[in-house]
Amino acid sequence: MSEPFEPKIVAFVCTYCTYAGADLAGTSRLKYAPNVRIVRLPCTGRISPMFILKALQKGADTVLVSGCHPGDCHFTAGNYHARRRWTVFRALLAFTGIPEERIRFSWVSAAEGAKFAEMINDITDETRKLGPFTQYQELQKVIETQSSY
Amino acid sequence: MGIQEQYRSEAAALLSSGEVKLIIGFGAGSTADRRRPLFARTPDEAQKFVLDAACIANLSTYLVTEGLLSDGKKVAVFLKPDGIRSVNILISEAQLKPEQVVILGYAIDNAEVTPLEGRKISDFSISEQIRSLTPPPHILQEAERIEEMSATERFEFWKEHFAKCIKCYACRQVCPMCYCRRCIVDVNQPQWISTSSHTLGNFEWNLVRAFHLAGRCAACGACDRACPVNIPLRLVNYRMGKEVSDAFDYCAGENSNQKPVLASFKQDDPETFIL
Repeated sequence: MSEPFEPKIVAFVCTYCTYAGADLAGTSRLKYAPNVRIVRLPCTGRISPMFILKALQKGADTVLVSGCHPGDCHFTAGNYHARRRWTVFRALLAFTGIPEERIRFSWVSAAEGAKFAEMINDITDETRKLGPFTQYQELQKVIETQSSY
Repeated sequence: MGIQEQYRSEAAALLSSGEVKLIIGFGAGSTADRRRPLFARTPDEAQKFVLDAACIANLSTYLVTEGLLSDGKKVAVFLKPDGIRSVNILISEAQLKPEQVVILGYAIDNAEVTPLEGRKISDFSISEQIRSLTPPPHILQEAERIEEMSATERFEFWKEHFAKCIKCYACRQVCPMCYCRRCIVDVNQPQWISTSSHTLGNFEWNLVRAFHLAGRCAACGACDRACPVNIPLRLVNYRMGKEVSDAFDYCAGENSNQKPVLASFKQDDPETFIL
């Protein structure tokens, strides 16, 4: 019997806003889907597109990238730079056929614990509907079978 | 006097006066319709330069050769407008000093080669020309066709193309913008991209290559011509250029003073996709 599909969601978050927001969700005892794996980084400006690709390579079904609202960056402008980078990277993924629903971007401040919890629940539900990202994961399987020679 | 003779004598004069230490141009190739880069250091060698409608390569890629310009001397190079555009980008990214590059400009129109006025990069105002530049119609049509596909179809389209990739990195080698001393694919700790040539690794490599060229591509098409398995690399480059132009009103290589698009920002950049 096959097990029901549990989405794997990887969230790359900045430590000053979204991580603090997730922390607030925790301390406020808000319950949200346990499908998310949070990776804490110093700033959204530190989030390289390579991270997103690596997460997909390692079997993530959805990737979330989240940081401080514009104007609130601890490093003044990290999120503005990140925003440009995402705009371009998102267009690239769309053009090469990686569905836009698989890569999410958001601003969550340290005070928005409720928004964080709600967003994770929404993304988990939507990913559950989308199903596993087999299209991409199959490419990885090819490697594993080949490397067993 | 034809343009070839005119440029030969000008090249010889540049070398004999000692103004430049090297001239990068075209020489005869292995077949009648091909040209090969020629590096002239003496006035005699300058007589071997060829300049005709077959000189389509973007020679600016040789300018970023490691150590070439570190002695502060000048180098002259034969460039078409797309080559001038890539020199603009290289200068704006602080990879070249404008005073070290002497440009022997030419344009090709319907198999006819005409000289371009000016020798310094600041002499060329190609901004309007670049803004009005459209890629060849077959690229435009193909890009539109892909845009209309569903995500799954697009994925299959690129999977098929990227599966052919043999990771020879010819696209990287030939590109004037790929000057990193250590490319991200050659980094093995951490290893971001699988180096063996299977479809996933190929997918990642091509995504990363396209992303690193976003807002920097001069659209010379060198990668496309260099690809031994005919992956339509220009398509992705064109799409990335369109994105930075639509979203940030940015056009790479308009002049040598612009700030690189991903190294700058505006507070009111569009962000419709952010939750």
